[in-house]
Amino acid sequence: MKQDFENDEWMKGLRETGFTTPAHYFDELSQSINARISAEKFKTVIQNDGHTVPDNYFEKLQANILAKTTAETDQIAKPKVVRLWNSSLLKYATAACFLLVTGLGLYFNQQNPVQQTAYTDLATDQMLYDIDEQVIIDHISSADITQPKSTAADTDLENYILTNYSQNELATSL
Amino acid sequence: MKQVEDSEILEKFANTKTRNEAFNLLLNKYQQKIYWHIRRMVIDHDDADDLVQDVFVKVWKNLESFRSDAQLYTWIYRIATNECITFLNKKKQRNNTPLDEVSDELSETLVASSYFNGDKIQLKLQQALLTLPEKQRLIFNMKYFDELKYEEISEITGTSVGALKASFHIAVKKIETFMLNEDITF
Repeated sequence: MKQDFENDEWMKGLRETGFTTPAHYFDELSQSINARISAEKFKTVIQNDGHTVPDNYFEKLQANILAKTTAETDQIAKPKVVRLWNSSLLKYATAACFLLVTGLGLYFNQQNPVQQTAYTDLATDQMLYDIDEQVIIDHISSADITQPKSTAADTDLENYILTNYSQNELATSL
Repeated sequence: MKQVEDSEILEKFANTKTRNEAFNLLLNKYQQKIYWHIRRMVIDHDDADDLVQDVFVKVWKNLESFRSDAQLYTWIYRIATNECITFLNKKKQRNNTPLDEVSDELSETLVASSYFNGDKIQLKLQQALLTLPEKQRLIFNMKYFDELKYEEISEITGTSVGALKASFHIAVKKIETFMLNEDITF
């Protein structure tokens, strides 16, 4: 009797393999099997979904995708043409050059009349230097350098005006 | 034709000289899968066309920062899934319509579409799918049409495998009921 009991325990130990299953596995197993069987039944009748695409669609699709992806990268890899005036640095450099040229122009314009005057004075001095001194003395002494004097006296003129012109005429003319 | 490995695509993409070639290989491998994944969610071909292009532009921009601890295709699927959900949410907000009306709208789009040539049963399956909440529809599509594993769907959606199994089971039951109501039996 005791030996039988010991054998039972021993057998029980042998039957336990140490394997386990997830919680509620056997509850879900039957559901999963039923779902698989139903799905397989559908598949025997319905192999595909009935959707179609236009002719050569996938070739065009690939070309479209490549145009939006790899082709764009190719464009980036090519040397980029940048408009000269897009750079703000160039704009400012040009403006600075313009101002510098304008400023220099104005400065030299202001300097020129002075130089011109100096040049004219030098030329006059040179001319005088070249003329014989005696010729200049003769020219000055022969020229009438005195101011022409009026033959009539101021009081005579005053009397003449007062006798020939009325007060009104004088007032309107003055 | 032998499919190029994701690791090879990533290796080539890391090199600027072979980057364009790598992206071409990636498109060849995934553009159709991603298109159909999006198309089944948004139904309309033109919407799917816009979205699939957006997805691959995002992939192009972010692939450099992709960490290889995730799988490349689950990463692309995740981007596509997020784009679909964002699109459908915007559609709801734009029209200020509740979910069931969006489903009706998508169902009408399906019937009117020049790019749907399914038979009556295919049409009914699509209409049945459109009665499901977005997430259940997404899970059903990925399991049934894309034949992805639950672990992969879990990585894409961020939902546990157990919850995905339950969602798939519920989705199948709802579709069965819808079909029975339409007198379609399997």
